[in-house]
Amino acid sequence: MAAFFFEGYNFLEYHLKRIAGVFMKVQFNNKLEERLVRGTLKVQKLLIYRIIQRTLLLIFPFALFGSFIKIIQTIVLGKEGFLTDVFPTFNNDYIYRLIENIANALYNLSLGWVSVIAIFGAAKYTAKYYHRDDQLAGITAISSLLIMDYAYSKVQPFSFHPNILGMRGLLFAIVSGMIIGWIFKKFSRPAPNLEKGQPTTGILERTFISLKPIIISLIIAIIFSTLINVTYYSEAPGNFINALSTEYTSSNNWTQLGKTLIFSIYTLIMSFFGWSGTYSALGMEKMDVLSTINLNYALQKHTAWNAPNPFTSSTLYHAFATFGGTGSILGLIIAILIVSKDKDFQTVARWAMIPSVFNISSGVITGIPVLFNVIFLIPFLLAPLANMLMAAIAITLHLMPPSVYPVPVGTPGPLIAFIGTNGSWQALGFSILAIIISVYIYIPFVKMAAKVKLLDNPGIEEGEV
Amino acid sequence: MRMQLRNLRQNKNFKYLLSLFIILILLGVPSYMWTKSNVSTLAGRYNSPMSPVIMIPGSSASANRFDDLVKTINRQYGEHHSLLKMTVHTNDSITYTGSIRPNDTRPFIVVGFENNKDGYANIKKQAAWFNSAFNKLKSRYRFNNFNAFGHSNGGLIWTYFLEHYFDDSTITVNHMLTVGTPYNFEEKNTSNRTQMLNDLVKDRNKIPTSLTYYSVAGTQLYTDDGIVPLGSVDAGKYIYEGHIKRYTLITLTGDKAQHSDMIANTQFIDIFHQYIVGNGINNSGNSRTSKKVPDPQP
Repeated sequence: MAAFFFEGYNFLEYHLKRIAGVFMKVQFNNKLEERLVRGTLKVQKLLIYRIIQRTLLLIFPFALFGSFIKIIQTIVLGKEGFLTDVFPTFNNDYIYRLIENIANALYNLSLGWVSVIAIFGAAKYTAKYYHRDDQLAGITAISSLLIMDYAYSKVQPFSFHPNILGMRGLLFAIVSGMIIGWIFKKFSRPAPNLEKGQPTTGILERTFISLKPIIISLIIAIIFSTLINVTYYSEAPGNFINALSTEYTSSNNWTQLGKTLIFSIYTLIMSFFGWSGTYSALGMEKMDVLSTINLNYALQKHTAWNAPNPFTSSTLYHAFATFGGTGSILGLIIAILIVSKDKDFQTVARWAMIPSVFNISSGVITGIPVLFNVIFLIPFLLAPLANMLMAAIAITLHLMPPSVYPVPVGTPGPLIAFIGTNGSWQALGFSILAIIISVYIYIPFVKMAAKVKLLDNPGIEEGEV
Repeated sequence: MRMQLRNLRQNKNFKYLLSLFIILILLGVPSYMWTKSNVSTLAGRYNSPMSPVIMIPGSSASANRFDDLVKTINRQYGEHHSLLKMTVHTNDSITYTGSIRPNDTRPFIVVGFENNKDGYANIKKQAAWFNSAFNKLKSRYRFNNFNAFGHSNGGLIWTYFLEHYFDDSTITVNHMLTVGTPYNFEEKNTSNRTQMLNDLVKDRNKIPTSLTYYSVAGTQLYTDDGIVPLGSVDAGKYIYEGHIKRYTLITLTGDKAQHSDMIANTQFIDIFHQYIVGNGINNSGNSRTSKKVPDPQP
């Protein structure tokens, strides 16, 4: 297994020599930047990394389209959605249902099943790398994922757990896809027509070459699916952390601040790997006890100032660290629009701008891609944390009230603090400052990403992956 | 600085940045106005996807009364509802067993009482104890709507609670289901009204009008379920009919239609699942419309 992960190294030397010429053209501002860029290049040579990047690009169009549908779903149709609350709704129930159904169908089969697309991509690219039948590997992977995700329900005969099929199952799908690709390598010989590049006489022959890995993959999937309740275990760590974050409360403000920061970091890191963390970017459904106390205080005293718990997830994380979705993605988009000259980055940023206003970031994080991207890990963590610290300082110095009032789901990031404080202009000012901070944090990394891309673009098909 | 600004304007993405800015302002103005009007009438509990099923067992039963029911529901429908059991002691202190899983949007909460004796005086006390448990739940879990279930006297406690303690401005009770609730105690003939029934009918205006209520009565040999007469369950109509949005009386017969067995009855479990546990789709529609339905009695 270990050998499989590092086989990409074979190409390392070759590549480094080939791109030495390009290196001359790229200027580095300082040692740190150079080291980071070179480090990223090394990581990018890993087979596993290249497969992930290619897979993410494969799901990007679906994620982007789905994110637009998601806007309609949560913000226009949602029960507690931003536009439903702020603007009057349509009163015609039939039309409402119709739109809701269409939106659900479109969402469920775009962003709602990106993991199915991802496992197809991951298995296909892995099999292709080993010159195995990539089509069959991909299709086998889809079947395996659906088997693993099968809901053994007596009510609906043919149904799946929806959680694993969406963005949350991404990591699981990619890893499983690679394992299936690897099974194809182990248990079948190279597909003949892939080798010779001509239409083969026997399609049946091709099928039989891959029959063994197909059966093995499906059997492993069914064993996995029967023994392990995937949905449950995928949520178990999250549930545990959730329980911790909502149950354990401390009266000391500084331990509170530490706790909120730790859970934010956990959320950010998990989101970076396509999993899900404690705090969701869309809405604050998991409001903790402390926020409730704050709200009750504010409702009694008719002010948000001096709320008893200034450093909760809603005053810091939700109000200041989720602009544009987890990881202050709005900062990245603005940074790209300002400094990047890369055409791809710009296209992605322009398209994903609107969903990102409503904190739906799936377009950008798969299109750039930000997920699993070594360079963007730093600002992805740093920008939200810097904003939270700024907010914490501002609250401590009584420069703005903490956001304690409930905010509708999908409220544009920069307006969350404003609405959450019942329209405090100071909070709006600090939100704008937070955008500026996150843009400044993202700018150097956008430049670095452009350099890395110039030196080695994983998006370009090179044959080996 | 000016140099930078000019550069920025020449940037071909300037119009995108500008439009981003304009979008935010366009969204900001109405939301500012909305916040100002919302907070003054704020319902407090918002944004919570949780809609629990709160259950009260009948007299002489503890908070463990519905363990099997919850197990059956989870097994039969392949669902994973968590179960929290609370026992309210006579001194208003509460002991908890079980817990609510954090992502569970439809957990079961059973509220039992240390003093679970029968009788009108006790039902009043139990309603007060239930109220203290309900307030604990409200502040702890922040739900803004729930479904109610009561077995036998549990339904009386619900009715008394709705009439005397419940405040529907912050929280909605969507559906209520009771099984074998003796609104007229052991009295068969509804013309002989007990003190309790008279009181409950008198205060019925305080029951939220948006409520949908299903009352299940069991019968063996046409008259009673072995303990509670059909007429006594039926007397609930004097309280609810014509006041709440929907009142339905369902009569269960056949195997397991006996007063205490009914909650293990297959038909009952279907009814319970359909109306009280619901399947997300129905429910989201219901809670949406319930928001918009105007009061039938202004």
